[in-house]
Amino acid sequence: MAASAHRRSRNQAIALSAPAALGLLLFFAAPIAAFFVYSFLTGATFSFTADTPFTLQNYVDVFQAPSTGDLLFNSAIVGLLVGITCLAIGIPFAYWVRYHAGRLQSLILLLVIAALFTSYLVRIYAWRSMLGTDGVINSAIQSLGLSEEPLEFLVFSRFAVVVAIVHILLPFVILILYAGFRPLDPRYFEASEDLGAGMFQRWRRMVMPLIAVPVASAFMLCFVVASADYVTPQFLGGPESSMVGVQIQNYFKAQGDYPLGAALAVVVVLGYLAIQGLILLAMRLTGVRRIEWGT
Amino acid sequence: MGDLIRRRGLASGVVVGATLLFLFVPLAVVVLFSFHSSGGLTFPFEGFSVRWYEEVFADETFSEALVNSLLLGLITSAVTVIAGTAAAYGVARSDSRIRGGLRLLFLAPVLLPGLLIGAALLTFFARFQFDRSLLTVLIGHVVFAFPFVFLLVQTALERLDLTIEDVARDLGAGPWMVFKRVTLPQIAPVLAGAAALAFMLSFDEFLITFFVIGNEQTLPVYIFGRLGRTVDPGINVASTLLLAGTALVWVVAAVATLRAARNDRAADRMEVEV
Repeated sequence: MAASAHRRSRNQAIALSAPAALGLLLFFAAPIAAFFVYSFLTGATFSFTADTPFTLQNYVDVFQAPSTGDLLFNSAIVGLLVGITCLAIGIPFAYWVRYHAGRLQSLILLLVIAALFTSYLVRIYAWRSMLGTDGVINSAIQSLGLSEEPLEFLVFSRFAVVVAIVHILLPFVILILYAGFRPLDPRYFEASEDLGAGMFQRWRRMVMPLIAVPVASAFMLCFVVASADYVTPQFLGGPESSMVGVQIQNYFKAQGDYPLGAALAVVVVLGYLAIQGLILLAMRLTGVRRIEWGT
Repeated sequence: MGDLIRRRGLASGVVVGATLLFLFVPLAVVVLFSFHSSGGLTFPFEGFSVRWYEEVFADETFSEALVNSLLLGLITSAVTVIAGTAAAYGVARSDSRIRGGLRLLFLAPVLLPGLLIGAALLTFFARFQFDRSLLTVLIGHVVFAFPFVFLLVQTALERLDLTIEDVARDLGAGPWMVFKRVTLPQIAPVLAGAAALAFMLSFDEFLITFFVIGNEQTLPVYIFGRLGRTVDPGINVASTLLLAGTALVWVVAAVATLRAARNDRAADRMEVEV
């Protein structure tokens, strides 16, 4: 009786998860797996058949294209700069909101969520009107007499791309880090102080182990989203700072060479896996372990 | 020591204030210039006018894009909340052997950037000669929004006290009755928030949509199409309307969250009185 009830509830559980699982297998897992296979096939423009023999030609073409190295390098740099900037702002922000904001806490969190909800394209456009040669910042600088000429480097540069993507990702990073700080009650700080621990000890022994995992995931989120962005570089990037996402998008939407685009995309994904591996290795080597704090 | 901490707190407070300005000033500028009486997008501001709104609303492509985006948002929201709740409920009660695999599958789409999901879906649809349309966009949006909804509902289900469900079952309630009368009322605010989030994610989605859309328009695709021109107050108008749409959803979600928090506190008080 108990066993059959157990089996029934297990079958119900499988039945409840089944529609979503089948949907994602069909429209996510299968396309991604097939994508990998397609990168070894030959394409016709904007279509292809799956019965061509396997070839490494797409990968040869990817690595022989003179631009590939620059594109990968630029994307990695933008991903790195965005990740570091978001953490540099996000860690003090989340720390302050968690431990010093008092009654302002929920208001500030609601504002961060509001920022999270604002449109991606609108923010890229907003930064073009902020940073443009006749944009808000340059008009302000000129009308204050700080500079005669508009500052050209503000827009169509790597700087502009990084600023816009930081603006897009910062709310995510803040919420991830805030959730990371949440389990650590401020009373633990008082206890550590009573036991003679200073600021350095507090960060090294309490805060860092607590937020190591959220910091790593926030960084990875920034790196992946920023380096694969294909819209921001088109509207805010300079001619020398094009990125790999723009090229992948070109292969698919302009040239219609799907297998070549798939090959470049697979290279990018391998890059992500390598960086994720490095982060895990660094965490193991520095001996940062996760501590569970009661609330 | 305490003084030092307070001063550090103050310095961080300045960081927080500056960051909030950084987050909101550019958006405020976009909204402000959507009401500009001249076509210029630079200060000094010359006066208010709604002429650009009239121009955009007269554009039939814009109305088509707006209707499509609203429909996609509503359907994505409904599909992901129903499928996501069922999936989270199932995962919470499934065997530990398959739980890890299911959870990985349900969360995996957030691990890949939209560019790659979009490109993979485009190739997949092309391979099977499945014509691109709003239906393929909807599939892309559901795949993209599903993990967020699943994660929210799963977290809410984990916090539930399962003994209440056991009690209801012992009292003879069937599985559907237990869900409707016991589980659902407890997670309703979270479902409202998840529905709002899914709507917003779909309403604003561009990275995947750009790959899988046919000849139709959505609001972000419309804005992308106009972004090429240099000075165009029409983009400010379309952007402001997009911001207004998501802000409205944010208000709904915020009210739901605050109400849930108040219910929690009320429940705590009741327990104390009992």
